[in-house]
Amino acid sequence: MAPSRATSRLAAAALRRATHQPQPQHTFRRQLGATSHYHSHDHPPPAGDFGTAEQAILSAAYRHVPEHGFTAHALSLGARDAGYLDISTNLLPEGPFSLIRYHLVTQREALAPRSAAVFQEGAASSLQVPDKVERLAWERLLGNTEVNHRWQEALAIMAQPTHVPTSLRELALLSDEIHHLAGDVSVDPSWYTKRGSLSVIYASSELFMTNDRSPGYGETRAFLQRRLDETSKIGSTLGGVAQWVGFTASAGVNVLRSKGVRI
Amino acid sequence: MAARPSVLRAAVRVSRPRHSPCNFCSSQHTQQLFSTTPRNQHPETASRTTTPNSHSQTTTPPDDAVRHGTTHFGFQDGLSETEKTERVAGVFHSVAESYDRMNDLMSFGWHRIWKDHFVSSLNPGLSSSSPPKPQRILDVAGGTGDIAFRMLHHAHTINANPSVHVTISDINASMLAVGKQRSLTLPASQQASLSFLEMDATSIPPSLIPDNSYDLYTVAFGIRNFSNVPAALAQARRVLKPGGVFACLEFSKVTNAVLDAAYKRWSFSAIPLIGQLVAGDRDSYQYLVESIERFPSQQEFRRMIQEAGFEVGGQGYEDLTGGVAAIHKGMKPL
Repeated sequence: MAPSRATSRLAAAALRRATHQPQPQHTFRRQLGATSHYHSHDHPPPAGDFGTAEQAILSAAYRHVPEHGFTAHALSLGARDAGYLDISTNLLPEGPFSLIRYHLVTQREALAPRSAAVFQEGAASSLQVPDKVERLAWERLLGNTEVNHRWQEALAIMAQPTHVPTSLRELALLSDEIHHLAGDVSVDPSWYTKRGSLSVIYASSELFMTNDRSPGYGETRAFLQRRLDETSKIGSTLGGVAQWVGFTASAGVNVLRSKGVRI
Repeated sequence: MAARPSVLRAAVRVSRPRHSPCNFCSSQHTQQLFSTTPRNQHPETASRTTTPNSHSQTTTPPDDAVRHGTTHFGFQDGLSETEKTERVAGVFHSVAESYDRMNDLMSFGWHRIWKDHFVSSLNPGLSSSSPPKPQRILDVAGGTGDIAFRMLHHAHTINANPSVHVTISDINASMLAVGKQRSLTLPASQQASLSFLEMDATSIPPSLIPDNSYDLYTVAFGIRNFSNVPAALAQARRVLKPGGVFACLEFSKVTNAVLDAAYKRWSFSAIPLIGQLVAGDRDSYQYLVESIERFPSQQEFRRMIQEAGFEVGGQGYEDLTGGVAAIHKGMKPL
């Protein structure tokens, strides 16, 4: 959900205008995918980030990741499995990073059906938004289980300067997805702080997980919960401080007024 | 390169109006002047290229209907395709010997970085099987071998795949001769994996290159000189195997306005001058910068590649140095 309804209205209007321009459908879809940074109830999410051939090569290559990592070798094996040539991997403009992006996108997209299943069985209505956020972040972390032993290599590739913007964008989309699925409907500045803090917490938990050897990644879950608790504590502390400052200030003004100062 | 009346041609250039493309191409006077220059300069080139090359003579000639369309040469419009082919042949015949030196001067040596990046991003010779699978690469308009030699080095040395073969093709025998000469310095194993082919990339006879025979088709700084780009793309699709890749390195449109202004100033003022001083040939380099200006933008060229039946991934192109050059890739679907 956007910070304000007006923003999403504007976006929808721009969208309608754009549809009238004689533009090839696929370019238009890509542009839309590149510009919408949030969930909107007014228009559906853009269609997939990958073309059919890209999808075929990537999904085949993804099965080789646990053994060969996020490498050109895995891509080439995948191309072979999908019936393409070794050279066909050139279709993927970012090479091995495409494979990482494929992992990020598919895991993010798998979160919505996952959340429906998870919150259906339990008493969903009794859960508060922060609890749901914790649960969803944990579900997403479990999505890394298969490739966890290769994830440090992936993080290294994601940290390369050319890939940083795309990686950060994926992270932002993920935290927005989690808040959207958790039912967060805030339209104030906390829309940004919530997503920002969740991004930081998720990224650090992911890093923690790559070194976690505990059964079922229990340590990672504890780590995630501690970080989320800290945020809510910091949030309530800051709120308390703000309330105290506001009270003291207004009291000070009233004292001055009682002394005859014209304020 | 000897005894060319470059002074006369420089005088012709000076008398020529310097303004917007539209005025320029409508001027009948300059067209006549210009059209006589390269042809009289190299009668032997003209006579060779006006007839179909030796290979296609033996087969059925390409459909004539396609060849009658008009195209452009630099900022001049309304030329027949044969005429453009002929003039481009003239240009490259006259620049062949000074080609590398001029490239270094014009781009401050940066073209080497573009070419290195182009080849390493294609990663020729990479194979997941052992022993590595053979690959066949067709380097079109690659006369002097810049791309082909890098391909061979990357495949043989870096990817340890000796069964990669590169065919250098060019319409221009002078450029191929330079490439052949330069290839003599390569290691023997790489020389053995190299072959040369003189042909017109817009109409490749099936007897010369059968359908579905190459893994990779590359063209670096060549496609803007083709008399018919869609026809060349169709030929590329024909000779590539399903899953084969078309890759093109070409000058493109600069996206940043400030950089674009500086770049235009450099290319329209300095490059023809350098050409005149170093290669003694201003017209050829004037054509060079005009043809760069006329080449379609990144998005337009991507659309042409898609219309030729290739599949593109991601945004379909990669800008180099802010869009001065761009790499386009397309894959022939299965």
